[in-house]
Amino acid sequence: MRAFLLESLEQLRDHLAAQRPLFTPQFAADSSEPSWLPLSHNTPSVAIEQPLLPAYPAKQFFFPEREILFRFDGTDFKETLPKPAPQILFGVRSCDLCAIAYQDQFFQQDPYYQARRKATLLVGIDCQLPCEGGFCPTVDAGPFVRDGMADLVCHQQGDHWLLITQTSEGEALLEGLDLKAAAEEGITQRRSQEPQVAAQFPSATHIERGIQRINQSQVPAELWQTMGLQCLSCSGCTSLCPTCSCFTSYDRPVDDGFERERCWDSCLYDAFQREASGHNPSAAAGQRVERFWFHKFSDEYIKTFGRYGCTGCGRCEKTCPGVIGVHSVMKRISATP
Amino acid sequence: MDADRDNISRIIHTICPFCGVGCGIGLRVEQEKITGVEPLTSHPVSQGKLCAKGWSTAYAVDPIDRITTPLIKENGSFRPASWDEAYQLITEAFSTAITEQGADAVGVIACARATNEDCYAAQKFARAALGTNNIDHCARICHSPSVAGLRQTLGSGAMTNSIDDIEKADLIVIFGCDPTENHSVLGGRIIRAKMAGARLLVVDPRLTRLARMADLHLQLQLGTNIALINGLLQIIFANGWEAAEFLNERCENEAALRAKVAGYPPKRVTAITGVPEEKLIAAARMYAKADRALLTYGMGITQYTTGTNNVISISNLALVAGQIGREGTGINPLRGQNNVQGACDMGALPNVFPGYQEVAQQTSRDKFADHWQKKLPENKGLTSLGMTKGALSGEVRCMLIMGEDPVVTDPDQHHVQRALEALDLLVVIELVMTETAAMADLILPAAAFSEKAGTFTNCERRVQLIQPAIAAPGEAKPDWQILGELASRLGYHGMDWPNAEAIFNEITALSPLYQGMSYLKLAENYGLQWPCNEQAPNGTPLLHRQQFSRGKGRLIPVSHADPAEMPDEAYPLFFTTTRLHYHYGCGSMTRKSPLLERETPSGVLFINPADAQALAIKPQTKVRISSRRGEVETRAVITDEVPPGTVAMPYHFKEAPSNRLTNTAQDPVTKMPELKACAVRVTNLEEASQ
Amino acid sequence: MNGLMTPQLIRISEIYDDGEAARHFTFEPVSGTRHSARPGQFFTLAIPGHGEAAFTYLSLPDAQGRFKALIRRVGALTSALFECGHGDLIGFRGPFGNSWPLEQLLGKRVLIIAGGIGLPPLAAVTDRLSTDGNTPVGLIYGCRSPAEQVLKHERSAWHASMPILETFDRPSNKGQLTGTPLDHTQQMSAKLGGSPEAILSCGPEVMMNAAARHFIKNNLPPEKIWLALERRMHCGVGECGHCYLGSSTVCTDGPIYSWQQLIRLQSQTTA
Ligand code: SF4
Ligand code: SF4
Ligand code: SF4
Repeated sequence: MRAFLLESLEQLRDHLAAQRPLFTPQFAADSSEPSWLPLSHNTPSVAIEQPLLPAYPAKQFFFPEREILFRFDGTDFKETLPKPAPQILFGVRSCDLCAIAYQDQFFQQDPYYQARRKATLLVGIDCQLPCEGGFCPTVDAGPFVRDGMADLVCHQQGDHWLLITQTSEGEALLEGLDLKAAAEEGITQRRSQEPQVAAQFPSATHIERGIQRINQSQVPAELWQTMGLQCLSCSGCTSLCPTCSCFTSYDRPVDDGFERERCWDSCLYDAFQREASGHNPSAAAGQRVERFWFHKFSDEYIKTFGRYGCTGCGRCEKTCPGVIGVHSVMKRISATP
Repeated sequence: MDADRDNISRIIHTICPFCGVGCGIGLRVEQEKITGVEPLTSHPVSQGKLCAKGWSTAYAVDPIDRITTPLIKENGSFRPASWDEAYQLITEAFSTAITEQGADAVGVIACARATNEDCYAAQKFARAALGTNNIDHCARICHSPSVAGLRQTLGSGAMTNSIDDIEKADLIVIFGCDPTENHSVLGGRIIRAKMAGARLLVVDPRLTRLARMADLHLQLQLGTNIALINGLLQIIFANGWEAAEFLNERCENEAALRAKVAGYPPKRVTAITGVPEEKLIAAARMYAKADRALLTYGMGITQYTTGTNNVISISNLALVAGQIGREGTGINPLRGQNNVQGACDMGALPNVFPGYQEVAQQTSRDKFADHWQKKLPENKGLTSLGMTKGALSGEVRCMLIMGEDPVVTDPDQHHVQRALEALDLLVVIELVMTETAAMADLILPAAAFSEKAGTFTNCERRVQLIQPAIAAPGEAKPDWQILGELASRLGYHGMDWPNAEAIFNEITALSPLYQGMSYLKLAENYGLQWPCNEQAPNGTPLLHRQQFSRGKGRLIPVSHADPAEMPDEAYPLFFTTTRLHYHYGCGSMTRKSPLLERETPSGVLFINPADAQALAIKPQTKVRISSRRGEVETRAVITDEVPPGTVAMPYHFKEAPSNRLTNTAQDPVTKMPELKACAVRVTNLEEASQ
Repeated sequence: MNGLMTPQLIRISEIYDDGEAARHFTFEPVSGTRHSARPGQFFTLAIPGHGEAAFTYLSLPDAQGRFKALIRRVGALTSALFECGHGDLIGFRGPFGNSWPLEQLLGKRVLIIAGGIGLPPLAAVTDRLSTDGNTPVGLIYGCRSPAEQVLKHERSAWHASMPILETFDRPSNKGQLTGTPLDHTQQMSAKLGGSPEAILSCGPEVMMNAAARHFIKNNLPPEKIWLALERRMHCGVGECGHCYLGSSTVCTDGPIYSWQQLIRLQSQTTA
C-alpha cells in the first residue's frame, strides 16, 4: 500500500480513461440522475468531488441483469463465457465496494461473474458527507473505503487528494503519472478523520435495534404480515440492492436452437418459490418481506460473509413504492414493544 | 474509439409504456440493445419508484419476436412483402369499398398505447384521408363512460386533480378499483398517504389490498354503485352535511337530485347493496365532513351497462359534498393503458375532434376542414363495437387496427373473430404477432415506444415526451409515418410530416388544451398538464378551481338498475373481470418477461372459500366456467378477495380468455360493454375422477 | 469442457410407465464421462426450449455410468420429457446436494416413511440398507389410493429382504391397510424387533412433519430423524436463491435435513 498526492480527481480519471474503458457515475443526458456511464469526449467534465450515488450499484457490471449462460445449437450445449475487455470503475463508494466484496465471495465459483470481475479494476472514493438515507457506518460499510476493497482509493484532503494504492494492479495503472508520494501524516489524518465524518450521519438507533430484534426473532409475525400487505412485488428493492443476487433462468429460442438466459429475480415475487405442483413454501407476502430482511440482517450470514448483507446504501428506501424500505421497516420493527 | 465507447452504454430518459400513471424511466442501452431500466428520482410522478411492469420494460421491447417487414397473408400464411406492395393492396381494397359503399364502409381503430402523434395521425387519416368518422380506440372498454359522464356534469372527462394531491388529502376514497394492483406507483402514493395519517374509504365488492388497509370498506354487491351513492347522498342531505354554499354558487339542478335520492333511504340501500346502514352513515359522514377528500375510481365503475350513470353519480356525490375544485380533492378516474387519456385528447373517438371539439358542430368541422384542407364527413361515426357489428352485417368492409388486440380484450371473443373474418381487408399495425394480427390480411410493422419520439398523456393530464432509445428493427416505423404514407397513396397529402414534433405543433395549433405546449417546454418541465395556454402557460394541475369547464356543475339524478344479466338458476354466480398487477392489456408485452409470465402461468378463476367448498373445489382444481355466450377452462384460486356468490377472472390470458364469457350488453350512451358483471356457472372438472 | 451451469449430453436408454402419470427413465453417458453419486443426491435435466429441473436418483450410476429416475408429469418440462423417446439426447448436470447419513444408519433399526411420490428419493438408500445384512430396516409407504403408488418393481424386490407396510387413504379392496403411515408404526416396530433408532422420510411436508413430531414424542432424539425436502431450484449450486430455507439453501445444505437442523432453521423467522 502506497500513498500519493493528487491535484485533482480529473487528472487521475483522465489518465486511467486513456488506458482502458472507464465507467463512472455521471448525470445521464440533461438530468440530475446519476448513472453508471462510460466516460467519453461527449461527457462534460462533472464535479466529482462529492461522490455521486448512482441509481444502481456496480453489480450489473459483474452480474448483469440478463446474461446468456449457454447455447444449445441443435446438437450440444455450448458454454458461453463472457470475454470482457479490461475496464475500470471509477468513483465507487465504500458501501458499493463492500457489496462487491460480498458478491465476490458469493459468486466465488461462478465463471461468468468471475470473468467480468477479474477484468475490472476498482477505484474507490471516500465519502466526506453523509448521503440521503445512507447509514453505512452502522453496518461497517463506510464512509471511508475499507482496506482491500478497491485497487485505488481517492481521499480528499483540503484542496488536494490522497491517492492510496491497495493492489499492485492498481499501482501499475499509475505509470506515467508524475505523482509525489504523500507524507505519512496524510494517511494517519485520513484514519482519524473517518469517525468525524461518521458522526455527521443521522442517528440510526432504529437500525441497530431492528437488527437485534430480527436476530432474536422478536418481530411479531403480524407486523411482517402488515408490512407484507404493503409489498407490491415490484422487485425494485432487489434490483437496486447491491448485494441481492437471486436469478431465474429460462430458455429463449434463437435461430439455430436455444439459449439459456439467466436474469435477475426477486424473492418478493409471489411465485419465487412456487413449485411445479403449485405448492409454495412462502405463499404469504409477509413471509417474503421477512425473508428479505432476514437475508440482509441475520447474524447467520456474518458467519459466511464476515458482514451483513446490507451495506447501508439506502436505495431500497428510495425505490420502494410500498413504503417498506430499510428505514421504514426498521423504524416499525424497533417501535414494537 | 471514443465513438465506439459511446455505443457501449447510455441511458435514455423516457416514459413507462404500461399504464396511465406515466412513470419516468431511464432505458439502459448497451450495444444498441435495451438491457434494463433505471428509475428516475426526480420524476414528479414516480419519484424513483416503478412497478413490476415498469421494471420489466426491457423484456417488453425484446426484439426476439418482432415483426420486421410488412406481411401479406396468402393461403392462410404470411409472407414478407415490400411497403409498396402492401400500400398498393390497402389502397385498392379501401378505395373499392369506399367507391362501392361510401366512406363509412371503412374504419380505423387507434391505440391507447400509441403516442399522441400516432393517435392524431389515425383520426386525421380516418377523417381527412378516408372521409369517415369511423375512428375509435379501446377507451371504449375502459373509460368512455368517464368522458361521457363527466363531460355532462363538469364539462371535462379527465382526472380533476393531480397525483400529488393524493398526499394532500385527509380522506382518500377508492371506488371500484385497487390502484396498488393496476396503477401500482400511484397506489404506493396512497399507501404513503395512509402511513402519514390520511384515512382510507374503499367501496368495492372485492376485499382488495387497499380494502384490507382501509379505515372503512363498503363491500357492496356487484353492480349496485348508483344505489349506494344515492343512499350516501340521501344521508348527507337528511343530516344537512351537504356543502350548501358550494351547491348554491357553483352547481345546478339540486332540487331534482334531492327529489331522486329521497327515494333511497338507508334501509332500501342496504337491501340492494348489502352494506349495513351504520357503515353507510359512517361513510357519508366521513366524506361530507372531511377537509379534503380525494375520490378515485376505476373500471369497477365504468365497465357496466350503467357506466355513464355510475360516473354521473360519483360526480353528484363529489359536488354535493363540495369535494372538488380544491387541492387534495376531486374526481379522479384511473385510466388503464398508458395513453388512453391522450388517445381521447387526440380525438381518436367517433364523435370528437382533437381537444373534444364536437364533430356535430359546424364550427369545429369548419375549423378542422380549413386547417386540413379537406371537406370533412358529418356522419356520426361508429364505435369499435359498432365497427365489428358493421363488419358482420357487411356495412363495414375494410378496417385498419393499430396495435390493439380486440380478439383478446374485447367482450365476446367469438363475435369479434367472426366480424373480423367477414371483412374484405383487415390491416393490423403491430409490433408482434397478436391474436388479432394473426387474423389480418396484412400486417404492417410498427416501431415500439422505445424506438420513436412522441408524447404520452398520463391520467393526470400530464403530456410527457418519449424519446427513441434505439432504432426500430428491420423496416418497422412509427404508426404516424405509416399512416402518412398511406394517406398520400390515397391522394391526401396533408399528413407528410417530417417528424413527430411537426405533428405535435399541428396538435397545439388545433387543440386549445395543448395550445401552450411545445417539445421544448415539455422537456424543460418533465411534462405539462393540460389545459396549457396563455392563461395557464405552465399547465393546470387542478381543474375547476373557480368554475367548472361547463360553467356550473350539473347534478343529474340517476336511478339504480340491475346489471343486464343477473345470476339465476342456470347460471347462479356473478362473474366479474379483474386485472392483475403483473399484466397489462392483452399481455402481448408483459408476458414476454419470464418473471411476470411465471407469476401467473395460466388463466385463473378467483373463487370465495364458501363457493369453493360448495363445489368441492380445492386450490388448483380444474374448473369450467360457462355463461350464455361460451365457456372457459382454467384452474381455481381460492381467495376471500371475492365475496361469496361472485367469481372473478383476469382478462389477460389467451389460454383462458374471459371475454368468451362476458356480456356484450352496452351502456346506451357510450356503448361501453358490461365487462364487470354477468352470470356464470362453475363446474368442478375433477370431481368425476375423485 | 462445460462449467458450472452448462449441461452435458446424456442419452435416454430405457423408458417404462409406473403409476399415475409417472415414468421410469434410464440414462447413460454419451461421451463415456461417468460420475458417481450418493443416495439422496439429485441432478438436473435440461430439455432445450423448456428449461431445467431437479430430479432424484432412483438408482445410482452403475459401472457403465447408467442411472435411473422416476419422473412424474407435473409441468411443461416434464411434459416435454415425456415426449422424449428411447435414444434421445438431453442435458444433465449433477450430482448435487448432500446424502442420507449412511454411516449413522448402518447397524441401527431404521424406519423409512414415504408418502406418494416421496418414495423415489428413498429408493437408493433403501437398496443400500436392505442389502446390508446388518441393518434392520422397514418401509411404511402411504398413498392416497393404490393408483398413486410408484416403484412396483423396486418394492417387490425389497419385499424379499425387508418388511414393507403399504397403507392408503382410500384403499381399493378390503385386504389393504388404511390410514396414514403413523397408524402402523407399532406393527412395524414389532417386525423390526424394537422401536426405530432412526427415521428417514420423504413425502408431503405435512406428513413428514407429523412423522417427526410423532417420534420426538416417543423419545427419539431430533438428530436421528432425517427428512428430504423439495424446493424450486434454478442452479443446484446455491446461487439462484430460490431454494432458501432460513439461512440454508436446500440444493447445497440439503435436500436432506435432520429434524434438529430443521427446527433451528424454522426458528430463525416468525411469519
Ligand atoms: S438493504 Fe437497502 S440499504 Fe441495505 S444494502 Fe440493500 S438496498 Fe442498500
Ligand atoms: S421495493 Fe418494496 S414493494 Fe417493491 S418488492 Fe421491494 S419491498 Fe416489495
Ligand atoms: S405504475 Fe404504471 S407507469 Fe408506473 S411503472 Fe407501473 S406500469 Fe409503468
